[in-house]
Amino acid sequence: MNRIALAIALALAAGCNPTLSAQSLAPPGRAARLDANEGFWGIQSYRLELSRGIAIAVTCNHGGPCSKLRVTSDDPAIAEVHDASFGVMQPNGGSAYPTNQATATAFVVVGKAPGVTKLHVNTDDGGRTVYVTIAPPPAKALPTTAAR
Amino acid sequence: MRQASIVGQCAADDAACSRRHPLQPLAIGSHFHPDVSAEISGSATPNLVLQSADPSVLAVEGGALVAKQSGASAVLISTEDGAVVDFQHLWVAPVTAVTLAKRDGDRIGGAIGLAVGEDVTLVPALWNNAQRLAGDPDAEWRVSAEGPIAILRDGSSDRRRLKARVPGKATVTVAIAGIEASVDVEVVP
Repeated sequence: MNRIALAIALALAAGCNPTLSAQSLAPPGRAARLDANEGFWGIQSYRLELSRGIAIAVTCNHGGPCSKLRVTSDDPAIAEVHDASFGVMQPNGGSAYPTNQATATAFVVVGKAPGVTKLHVNTDDGGRTVYVTIAPPPAKALPTTAAR
Repeated sequence: MRQASIVGQCAADDAACSRRHPLQPLAIGSHFHPDVSAEISGSATPNLVLQSADPSVLAVEGGALVAKQSGASAVLISTEDGAVVDFQHLWVAPVTAVTLAKRDGDRIGGAIGLAVGEDVTLVPALWNNAQRLAGDPDAEWRVSAEGPIAILRDGSSDRRRLKARVPGKATVTVAIAGIEASVDVEVVP
């Protein structure tokens, strides 16, 4: 019984965590992709694939723009994180107050060097872990190979 | 993020300069002098700074972008306190050919004839195969015979004004990154 209660509590906690969304395009031939690692109880974490020298903008949402967003990188020499000012309004009042809006909360990740590291996204509403892989720039592709 | 843009510093009526838009790759070894602007709802443009994601490909030196080696790099456009308002991915490519054009952008396809006292301004264009490259290169100009033609600087790093002095013939050559382009010039009375 205790295990079921614990599982429900973990599920509720996971559901209370913010969600992340990519807001920029990958340039041709380079990676800039954010995906959710989903489990039985929903999103467990995120994975980000980025090429060296490439940037991606990510917004944080939790029924509205995340408040008190703090993002840290375990290894800034591999993946650098910057605060971002993303000038768009997003709904912020939930179903009880649907007309309210707030400025989107965002950050930018830059691929600095090939390798793997983690980002820790913390807000007043919970946190997320982003597993980051920075890939080297692609070698010239053979015409017999297509990969994406 | 569609809040800021990077364009080249040039006069609106300068056809050659207006082509130096960073939507084209920058030529290795060239400098690009950006004019950064932002359009942010509810705010005038804040103080902005540029930062390169990969300075080994594209460096920011004294406000100019300097193309170092082939590749791609994001250029972050940030406020002075570090908030990124936008970024743009720029590309760097090697120069495979140099051509000459007049200042209005008209490509030089043959010899130039000038009367004594006339002048013409020539601008080198940088190419990577069929793709025109952006950036101000360090160009070296020389003329085969000093008499008929004087090569005058006009404040640009690459552009030159050819002034016809006395009747005669000469070949004017520009060299950029070890690649040359030449044009024959005949000066008549």
